[in-house]
Amino acid sequence: MGLIRVEDLRKVYRVDQEKIVALSRINLTVASGEICCILGTSGSGKSTLLNIMAGLEKPSKGRVVIDDVEVTALSEKDLALFRQKNIGFVFQSYNLMPTLSAIENVAMPLMFRGISKDQRNREAVKMLHAVRLGNRLLHRPTQMSGGQQQRVGIARAFVAHPKIIFADEPTGNLDSKTTKEVMEIMVGMAREYQETLILVTHDQDIARYADRIVTIVDGNIQADHTNESAFPAQRQEKAQELTTVSGGKAE
Amino acid sequence: MKWNDMVAMSLSSLFKRKVRTLLTVAGVVIGTCAIVVMLSFGIGIKKTTDDMMQSMGDLTVIQIENYSPSPDAEPLDDAMLEKIRALPGVQTLTPMFDVDSSAFQIRSGKYVYGGQITGVYMDALSEFGYEMEAGKLPEGTVEEGAILFGKDALYNFYNSKKNNNNMIYPEPDATGKVPDPYVNPMEDKLELVLRKTDDNNKKTVKPIKLKGLGIMAQDWSKNPSPGYSVFMDVKYARSLVDQYNKLNNIKVDKSKKFQYNGAVVKALDIKSVESVQDSIKAFGFQTYSMDSIRESVEQQTRTIQMILGGLGAISLLVAALGITNTMIMSIYERTREIGVMKVLGCVIGNIRAMFLIEAGMIGFIGGVAGLIFSYMLSFLINTLAANGGGVMGLGAGGQISIIPAWLALGALVFSTMVGLVSGFSPANRAVKISALTAIRQE
Repeated sequence: MGLIRVEDLRKVYRVDQEKIVALSRINLTVASGEICCILGTSGSGKSTLLNIMAGLEKPSKGRVVIDDVEVTALSEKDLALFRQKNIGFVFQSYNLMPTLSAIENVAMPLMFRGISKDQRNREAVKMLHAVRLGNRLLHRPTQMSGGQQQRVGIARAFVAHPKIIFADEPTGNLDSKTTKEVMEIMVGMAREYQETLILVTHDQDIARYADRIVTIVDGNIQADHTNESAFPAQRQEKAQELTTVSGGKAE
Repeated sequence: MKWNDMVAMSLSSLFKRKVRTLLTVAGVVIGTCAIVVMLSFGIGIKKTTDDMMQSMGDLTVIQIENYSPSPDAEPLDDAMLEKIRALPGVQTLTPMFDVDSSAFQIRSGKYVYGGQITGVYMDALSEFGYEMEAGKLPEGTVEEGAILFGKDALYNFYNSKKNNNNMIYPEPDATGKVPDPYVNPMEDKLELVLRKTDDNNKKTVKPIKLKGLGIMAQDWSKNPSPGYSVFMDVKYARSLVDQYNKLNNIKVDKSKKFQYNGAVVKALDIKSVESVQDSIKAFGFQTYSMDSIRESVEQQTRTIQMILGGLGAISLLVAALGITNTMIMSIYERTREIGVMKVLGCVIGNIRAMFLIEAGMIGFIGGVAGLIFSYMLSFLINTLAANGGGVMGLGAGGQISIIPAWLALGALVFSTMVGLVSGFSPANRAVKISALTAIRQE
């Protein structure tokens, strides 16, 4: 069984009298440690899928099960706790706290868990070194470039070692050089800590970093294939096996 | 999330918006200051009037005045005094029998006492709390001729052999020393002489020996003030008056019953004063006590306090609206941050707590600063009042603004509560923000 199971997921938005189908019927299984890219153009429903998987939004039908917990059935309070323990986030617009330093931003998820300041700051410093920001520990977000801010964001997502990291267009605001840098760091860390990374993007080039590419068109999975072209050396065999097992294709 | 982390987060967001925090806190400062200073006035005024009345008279003493008794009223005589003594709440009493000073004279050698003599129940004096400078207050029955002098009454002795004014006064003379009176009743011989109204009266008058029991200290809170009084047993005083009448062939109208000029009643405690006073009034006498004044003054003080407190409450209410407004603004500005925190796994309770702490902190800081200002204002007012010599006729030299510990503590608790209550609805608003909408917001 996969770490993430998406079963018959459907999401319909109601705008005035009009119904907009964002997701029609999605079935998807992601294995633990897999780097999975959800690829689609804007309006394809890829972000909606990510939001529902992360428990930020409720589906109209179907369910999401992560690590045997039915996320779609949790209350808001339990969802917060669930995210605290199991999920990390990387946002397109970084979403760092403007008043806090890099260390404090990275340590934030640990603070929510009630970890002491000493310990969480130690972890945060470790993470900031890992994203090559050892010389920017006390800088505030406004004192850093976009790429640096996103690296702080990545450190924040990984610091608590959650089971899953969700990244929604993580390089959407970055230039191509910085994009490469940020993607390599993020994918590298996911592999190092053997964490599951769900990457949502519209960019074919970014999709190349993933083990598996799920293409969504108009709320349906159009293609789901193992990515053999990029980083074959790093790719885990397990991921390839699972691709064939996962029956989540919507033909 | 730990409490200290939540407090730290709240504080950091407060300090981030310094000017706005300062302005909001200022609202609370003014409100707290207004309430505390206003209430401190009330407390100060109450204390000053209490002190004033305490110095004006014993609060448990009721005076009965009988200057112009109505003809059909019961006379204020021994029988009536026994009736009053039997009232519940009465500790003791004494009549006040003023002896006409023209009836007899007290002499000590060449010195003559020219003042008033009052007949009282000598054994009741100790219960009224009279203090002695020399000698002892009598207990139980007293011998005939026993007499008590007030400290200052002794200065009413003068040398009858000299014609010019030779009175001395209890005031420092040129050398700075207060002169002793001519007579010391504890040592010198005292005698009483009945006077004749007619120089042709051939009856011989034998002087009566008196015995000085002691000298009473002055006490302005008593009426009559003991320093200026000369007391003797009321029965003995009456017998002397009878003798005087006989000597001078004065006929007493038998149809008119004997009356004392007045009486003084001491109640067991302040609580019983009112009921005793009412009962005495029911007998048909005019009474007078500090308690009756006190009530009207207290009523007045309460009214002042309520008006002042109300003004303070209004200012604090305005401050509360300020806090709510600031918190709502803060939440609008931080919608995105709140959303991110929620996405990153901050539980709802923590978010609510952080905003409540923030609002409570505004209240608390405002309360502390308000208290400091209040103490300063209070000090200033008291200093001004002391120098100005009792502004508005209040507390000359005394404190007209008093901030007791309970008021200070209460103000802190109250201002913090105002902050918390004002922050309650904004905090709930923050909790309801959808994480998704918040992070989408650009």
